[in-house]
Amino acid sequence: MKRAFLGEFEEVVLLTVAILDEGAYGVNITQEIEQKTGRAVGFSTVHTTLQRLEEKGFLSSQMGGATAERGGRRKRFFTVTSAGRRALQEVKQVRTELWNALPPQTLQLMGG
Amino acid sequence: MLRPPPRFAAWLLKTFSHPDTSEEVQGDLLELYAYWVETVGQRSADWRYSLSALKLLRPLAQRKTNEQYTTPFFLSPVMLRNYLKIAFRNLSRNKSYATINVSGLALGMTCAILIFTLVSYHLSFDNFHANADRIYRFVTEQHRETVHYSRSVPGPLGKSFRNDYTFGEKVARVATYDDVLITLESGKDVQKFKEDEGVAFTETDFFDIFNYPLLKGDKATVLTQPNTAILTERIARKYFGNTNPINKTFRVDNKVSFRVTGILKDLPINTDRRTEIYVSYVTLKQFDDWLASDDAWGGITSAMQCYVKLRPGVSPARVESLLPAYVKKYRAKSKNVHVYKLQPLADLHFDARYGGAMTKTNLLVLGLIGLFLMITACVNFVNLATAQALNRAKEVGVRKVLGSIRGQLFWQFISETGLITITAVVLAIVLSLLTLPYMNEWFQSQIRINLLTDWRLTLFILAATFFVIFFSGSYPGLIIARFQPVLALKGKLSQQNIGGFNIRRSLIVTQFAISQMLIIGVIVIANQMRYAKQSDLGFNKDAVVMLPIATGSNPQTMHTLTDRFSKVSGVKNVSLCRAAPSSSSNWTTSPTYDNRAEPENFNVNVRAADDHYVPMFELDLVAGRNIFPADSVKEFLVNEMFAKKLNLKSPDELLGKMVSLNGGRLKGPIVGIIRDFHDLSFHQAINAVCIGSDMNNYDYYAVKIDLANTQQTLAGLNKTWNEMHPDQVYDYEFLDEQIAEFYETESLMLKLIQAFAAMAIFIGCLGLYGLVSFMASQKTKEIGIRKVLGSTTGQIIWIFAKEFSRLILIAFIVAAPVAWYVMNAWLKNFQFQISIGADVFAIAIAGTFLIAFVTVGYQATKAALMNPIKSLRSE
Repeated sequence: MKRAFLGEFEEVVLLTVAILDEGAYGVNITQEIEQKTGRAVGFSTVHTTLQRLEEKGFLSSQMGGATAERGGRRKRFFTVTSAGRRALQEVKQVRTELWNALPPQTLQLMGG
Repeated sequence: MLRPPPRFAAWLLKTFSHPDTSEEVQGDLLELYAYWVETVGQRSADWRYSLSALKLLRPLAQRKTNEQYTTPFFLSPVMLRNYLKIAFRNLSRNKSYATINVSGLALGMTCAILIFTLVSYHLSFDNFHANADRIYRFVTEQHRETVHYSRSVPGPLGKSFRNDYTFGEKVARVATYDDVLITLESGKDVQKFKEDEGVAFTETDFFDIFNYPLLKGDKATVLTQPNTAILTERIARKYFGNTNPINKTFRVDNKVSFRVTGILKDLPINTDRRTEIYVSYVTLKQFDDWLASDDAWGGITSAMQCYVKLRPGVSPARVESLLPAYVKKYRAKSKNVHVYKLQPLADLHFDARYGGAMTKTNLLVLGLIGLFLMITACVNFVNLATAQALNRAKEVGVRKVLGSIRGQLFWQFISETGLITITAVVLAIVLSLLTLPYMNEWFQSQIRINLLTDWRLTLFILAATFFVIFFSGSYPGLIIARFQPVLALKGKLSQQNIGGFNIRRSLIVTQFAISQMLIIGVIVIANQMRYAKQSDLGFNKDAVVMLPIATGSNPQTMHTLTDRFSKVSGVKNVSLCRAAPSSSSNWTTSPTYDNRAEPENFNVNVRAADDHYVPMFELDLVAGRNIFPADSVKEFLVNEMFAKKLNLKSPDELLGKMVSLNGGRLKGPIVGIIRDFHDLSFHQAINAVCIGSDMNNYDYYAVKIDLANTQQTLAGLNKTWNEMHPDQVYDYEFLDEQIAEFYETESLMLKLIQAFAAMAIFIGCLGLYGLVSFMASQKTKEIGIRKVLGSTTGQIIWIFAKEFSRLILIAFIVAAPVAWYVMNAWLKNFQFQISIGADVFAIAIAGTFLIAFVTVGYQATKAALMNPIKSLRSE
């Protein structure tokens, strides 16, 4: 299998979906990212990233029930697949390894 | 309550976002919109919403396709090359298939190109004049029992209109005399020319209304002086060769001399005014005193036409509303029958009532026939291609297994069709260039095909090519692209899988319906023509030579020449007359009967003629006696219709009653009644007719000859003519030819429809042939088994015949009522018409059957005679 590759924004989105657990869908993902990272993200960017992640097999989605507040339109809920979880783990592991490999003096300079 | 998001953005999102995710995206954005309104305010929320919507439009937010196995773009050069290669291989393997397709399409396209050039040629008439929408012709409607339309007006109308009103920016009167004799004299050398198109006495405004540019001479002065003339380059070259034509002189009808003061550029082919000699209007006095005078309101002659270019903003209706005043003022004594109208320039060419050359209906019919032929050709193609599709099954299967997608297969097939079509189109262009001269001869036109300058034609050919490619390529293409690869590779596809058998059948039905309609049309027109030309006209038209009387003849010369003609060997009788009993040249007037105060409310057709007329044409005298020899009107013969129009019980009541014509100028008692004869073509009802002697109104010597030695007699007449009139051109016509000219349009239509029917049948047969050969090869095994089990040859042929007879019958059921309706409408043009009997339909269907069986027969017989061992051995 190809090695999982996650872009930075993809990682953020994937993590957010994981944080939101069961109830992750377009709107609250966008809001969550905005609040947690403080950067203004466009909905369309989030949407396409979600699509891409689903294509790569890191996310799965299913339609929710009909809702009253959004003109009766259903929500698409996203959940992280096992491949997604593995990819997140992998990314985190790579990061940790890299941090650990950092020489102590450099670490000190960075204020760690 | 929350305001809804920007409507346009919402609509964009709804319509163009990816259908898979459309629902949740719309919902999400709606929710976010509410959130944005709260957090960042209305304006920013609107802005963000619209921006997101825009970014989510389909091409910007599409899922990326899996790129693991790439499919080349279906129009990439590599694929195109492959398509063409396969197409070539396929076509060269199936040569007969390719030939049938190419020739069918080429024939259809040839017809389409020719018809297109013809139609656009007619539509282009007089389209080169500035402000054409303001140019009109004054025309006259004469309201009697029936309305009679004339393109002429009384001579002084134009002048009065110019002087009385300011509506006309330019007004020009043109008096055209056809068939004039032009004489050139240089020293002793005399040259004579007969000009069919004649000379036109023209007011100078004419050249401000119409765009006929002057090459030499000053437009303001060329035609102002008496006895001045301008010629077209062509005529100038014909008369004066390469010498400077300016100030040269010529005589018209040995009556009036003219000096050339200007040269006109040659007339374009697409104009109805074909006169090439224009002379100054002021000279008309010397030529026709009556017409030139200011009080010639009494009648109209076809020579006089009047054109006007209205000022901008003046409506023709307004001008027309002024014209009745003229009738009251100048024609106070006549019955009020004249109604003057304005006819727009754009209608001149198309309004047959006023002598337009080509009606729009005829153009429409032609266009439809062209379209029909194209469709037939396409149908052919679709038929053959669908039938062939099965042979391509393996190829398609392999291609699909190797990763072809539907679109690619479809385009592959289209490119194959394109190859065939383009070959056919090239062939069609060559063919139409070759056949154009014949068409020009038929239509007496000078159409040229030039693809480089005529962008309309080029565009048409391109459009037609694309139409044919897609129309005929897409259905077989779709079928092929739909094949299931597994079935195709196992060879388990059959005609049933391909389907479309019924579609193919209905296509054949369409083709044969079209052919049969055309065949029925041909038969009906031909029958009507035969009826018109061969049925009894009420007089004998055979063996009569019509010789126009020389211009400037006086009664003395006429008598002398009549006497000398009758002495020529082979001449049986000679009559001086205005026209043959049946003629397109008519002198009509309202008669005054029995000294009544008012003229009658009908027209008589006056046939001025001498006492030889009745015996020579074998007109049937039913009462009274023939007229006595006389030089001016003393007595009349009338026909039975005259009595009917007067509502008399018996024609005999007419005898001895007075009749006066032309407002009392011609007067005499009725001395004899003749049986009705066709004085006009079969298009029109028989008129009341008066025959009386009047030397002033004779136009022809009608000479009855012995057909045994026609050549000698004609030569003898020629010799006599030249002795009497050395300065005139000898010119004659046989009467039956003159009468045949009545039906010129119909004969032309007949020829055309014959040609097109032949084409349609031929194309149809090509298709049938192709289909039968395919069917035969499909049924090889079936036929083999049948033969082994004891079928006779006849029974096997019947398998094929059954199929096609059924289709032809269905086609006939469709075609017959349509053709019957259309042809009945056409026959309404004739007052005297045949009725469409069952025989017409019988002939049509028998003919179609015959042709179809000949086509099918060869292949069917070949299949039936095949040795079953050969067809069955392989298994």
